[in-house]
Amino acid sequence: MSAGLSDALKIRSAALAAHYPRKQAALLPVLHAVQAELGCITPEAERDVAALLGIKPIQVREAVTFYTMFRRRPIGRYHLQVCDNLSCGLRGTGAVLEHLRRRLGIEPGQTTADGRFTLTTVECLGACENAPCLMVDFEYHGNVDPDTVDKLLDGLV
Amino acid sequence: MVKLLINGRPVEAQEGSTVLKAAQEAGIAIPHFCYHEAFPPEGSCRVCQVEIEGLPKLDLACSTIVREGLKVSTNGDRVIQARRSVLEFLLTEHPLDCPICDKAGECKLQDYCLEAGLTVNAFAESREKREKKIALGAKLLLDRERCILCSRCVRFLRQVTGTRELGLFERGVGTQIDLYEGEPVANNYSGNLVDVCPVGAITDTDFRFKTRPWFLEARPAICPLCSRGCSMWADYHPGFPRVAGTAGIYRFRPRLNPEVNGHWICDAGRYGAMALERDRLTELRWIKGPSPAELSWEKTIGRLAAELRGLKTSGAIDHAAVVLSSRLTSEELFLAKMIFHEELGAGRLVFADPPDGLADGLLLRADRTPNRLAAARLGLPFQSDPLAALESASFLWIFGADREALEPFRRLSAALASIPTKVLSAPQMTGLESAMNFLLPTASVFEKGGSFANADGWDQVFSAVHPPCGNARPEESILVDLGRALGFDPAFYAALDGPGAVARALRAAHPQFGGGR
Amino acid sequence: MSVDKRLLPADGETAELRRLAVYEGRGGYAVARRVLASLTPAQVLDEVKAAGLRGRGGAGFPAGLKWSFVPKGDEKPKYLCVNADEGEPGTFKDKYILGHNPHLLLEGIILACYAVGIHVAYIYIRGEYEMIARRLEEAIAEAAAAGYLGPNVFGAGFALNAFVHRGAGAYICGEETALLESLEGKRGWPRLKPPFPAVVGLFQSPTVINNVETLANLPGLIRDGAAAFIALGTPKDGGTRLFSVSGSVARPGLYELPVGTKLREIVFTHAGGMPPGRTLRAVIPGGMSSPILRADEIDVAMDFDSLAAAGSMLGSAGVIVIDAEASMLTILKKIAAFYAHESCGQCTPCRLGTSWMAKTVERLASGEGRPGDLDGLVRVASNIKGRTLCPLGDAAALPVQAVVAKFRAELEAEIERAAEGRE
Repeated sequence: MSAGLSDALKIRSAALAAHYPRKQAALLPVLHAVQAELGCITPEAERDVAALLGIKPIQVREAVTFYTMFRRRPIGRYHLQVCDNLSCGLRGTGAVLEHLRRRLGIEPGQTTADGRFTLTTVECLGACENAPCLMVDFEYHGNVDPDTVDKLLDGLV
Repeated sequence: MVKLLINGRPVEAQEGSTVLKAAQEAGIAIPHFCYHEAFPPEGSCRVCQVEIEGLPKLDLACSTIVREGLKVSTNGDRVIQARRSVLEFLLTEHPLDCPICDKAGECKLQDYCLEAGLTVNAFAESREKREKKIALGAKLLLDRERCILCSRCVRFLRQVTGTRELGLFERGVGTQIDLYEGEPVANNYSGNLVDVCPVGAITDTDFRFKTRPWFLEARPAICPLCSRGCSMWADYHPGFPRVAGTAGIYRFRPRLNPEVNGHWICDAGRYGAMALERDRLTELRWIKGPSPAELSWEKTIGRLAAELRGLKTSGAIDHAAVVLSSRLTSEELFLAKMIFHEELGAGRLVFADPPDGLADGLLLRADRTPNRLAAARLGLPFQSDPLAALESASFLWIFGADREALEPFRRLSAALASIPTKVLSAPQMTGLESAMNFLLPTASVFEKGGSFANADGWDQVFSAVHPPCGNARPEESILVDLGRALGFDPAFYAALDGPGAVARALRAAHPQFGGGR
Repeated sequence: MSVDKRLLPADGETAELRRLAVYEGRGGYAVARRVLASLTPAQVLDEVKAAGLRGRGGAGFPAGLKWSFVPKGDEKPKYLCVNADEGEPGTFKDKYILGHNPHLLLEGIILACYAVGIHVAYIYIRGEYEMIARRLEEAIAEAAAAGYLGPNVFGAGFALNAFVHRGAGAYICGEETALLESLEGKRGWPRLKPPFPAVVGLFQSPTVINNVETLANLPGLIRDGAAAFIALGTPKDGGTRLFSVSGSVARPGLYELPVGTKLREIVFTHAGGMPPGRTLRAVIPGGMSSPILRADEIDVAMDFDSLAAAGSMLGSAGVIVIDAEASMLTILKKIAAFYAHESCGQCTPCRLGTSWMAKTVERLASGEGRPGDLDGLVRVASNIKGRTLCPLGDAAALPVQAVVAKFRAELEAEIERAAEGRE
């Protein structure tokens, strides 16, 4: 499997670039699309994206390493992102995080051995009305506690 | 002009200039790291904060434009405290490497901390772990612990060379400068990164651990390696009396010249210039003649003058070959023309110059000689075949100021063998030594004074950085003595007494030589 | 059918208002249609200025004044950037407008662009709001299909295109010049001001940056007039605010209330007060970057001036309620860690100061506190304050100073307990 951009992705990237008077402006939207398909931003993808947007690969990597949502290495099948911020902290995120660490046997930043789950802590997700909040990939799950988290994980194939 | 007050002192500044520049021109130095004259203000180091009356917060001197009636304080309590605090922040991560850091003695961080009286570090936490010796290119090392993230290096590679080999990665305190996939900084301006780095984060391997800046004197020089003639500083160590081999030029740096090279010099010049003082010819030699102990310049010049006079009398001067170089100064070319063309009438006056190289679109020009324009102004030929001039020559004198240009001569042992008298005057070994009868050691370009006319017509006057080594002499003084010894125009040569005399004679005879800068 | 005066749909209409047909059925787009047909851009600008509408992102800069900084008669194209980055901890209001009432935002965008002469709008939405971004794109497609966006909006000869642009996890990109850098495809490093974005902004062109809620207020403001807008709030600070209430409170949620509502009323009347068995210790009134208020300080009116006078700020109106059982040291740690994590790294005091503060508090929380540490912390904060390239420095320094100033005894007790725990 090529670690660069598929033809479909190249076409999509060109379409995104057309929204702006300067192609470089499409970098973040393009990187989102690339990561959705490839799982992470590979060096080959960096070169392809750079060529498409008329910039140098180094400029792509500068952005990739600045923004927390982009990653350079693949992660597990499901990305479990626990909000560690103030409001979630006041409503029990600590217990949720602790429970996940014990159940999965990993620390934040790590992936389970079977490759199913990657656990990270994240900053405020803007879901404080349903604190504590756990984001699985891009889905928000609010008002979680160790029990609801267990059910959630059990339901993930 | 705008009138303002800095520290109570009335100052006049150009409209549109910054407070920093206005202060600088009034002799008031405001500390700064990220600001560099060659780039638009960055505003990230926060060291140049000053107090402006009427404004609640401190303002950046590097980006605040002067206004009529502005009252600025660069040394009030608030400013001093703010400056100290920024330096304190830098010292939380910056290591105390001064004893082993090349930049000590010319380090802005060191200077500002000393001025601020910062001796105790209140930082009680653990530092980030960073790499200390990353090869950025053939001659560059990066020490990330020392980097203060002023981003000058990144901006240089973005705005000057456009090559962007270095980037800024990660975020927050983890931000770091790095290459992309190890692709090195490999452009012709990489040496400037060492100069723009205000601390010892980027250092030069050529200079690493060789000496200390406080032993060096910055002396002005002109680069002779292309027709741009960039202004440089030659950092010269006068030597320790009891330690051999310590005196010399340790490095070259750019010297600001808005009309010629701006703020930069190219690597070809910076590192190539260092090579001009290696493999020196230091002693006079005759292949058949007095022993070295009995040799003198007087004897040598006398001997050559006698032979040349003989050739002129016999008419064989028509086949005398003189190989000149466009690395000779305008004064030397002027004398060479007087003596060999006008007085002697030597029949084969040619130039041996290095071939053109590629211009790099910035400073480096295709013409790799510093003074071809002077040769043109003097009407000296420079498009001729120096090798053909050797064919059955009656006499040969090679001015080997540029040894690269003599490369083709090394294959001509047969042709050379048949020439009765062969003189080589050169600063460096050329590989022709064994084929010559007379070896005259000459000064390198940094051991003599004179002028070069660069391709844009600037006459750049320079002085010796240091005295010639060994028994070497500048070609100018050799030619003056030769002219005297030949005796064709005693009055002219008698007047060439004292420094600047030849230059004045040159300008009197050829007014296009403007007198330089 | 009269249009509801609220920014957010009343209960029972949540799921549907994002459909163009439903929005229009309730009077939506009528204001924009009328404005483009019968008012001049200057008239719209004047009305917004007269209303004194202040930005609802955090800084509170008057929107009409910001618009008026855009040079007139310039040949360069102009841009509107909608700040939908919503990164201020404790804030979740824009999410609801974007996801549940996107056409209100689009109508506000049309009005703002018409007033300033802008034909391209980019909605910079935080990367985590991926699903909401898709809803927004659907709304844009609906509006475009109906001719409410595109080359000839409402057939009035006004061109306007809107694009959704997703961020990727950087709080700093909520700062307007960092947003511009990010939108241009670069790292989110804020720019030196001047020049200001109104003159040199996106792609070096004049640019207006407005928060989602600010723009969502425009249709109602224009429809009912400046005086009515002001009357909804206080004389110097009109309209309503969407108060995000979270933390240790019975009914966390979004509450649309007049500007100037008392904080006590928000917490105890609307959000149901403390959960059973909990007592109030403190409230952060305007998102994490606003200085904390003690329980005895919550009789303050929630408007810009009153909160500033109380030593805090309205900011993003993110109300975080803290109970007496909460660990102030943990709260301090979360605050310091957040800014250290989100510092963009460009300028010295923030890059090194936020890290210093975070490391110190971490050490205090792990039981290795030493005498003078809290004073040292406050000193570092005061060296960051007012010295940075962008407001993130102040956002990091002020909350730390406030927590230490107002809860010193609690902190010292916790620090000591942590140290004893280590022995």
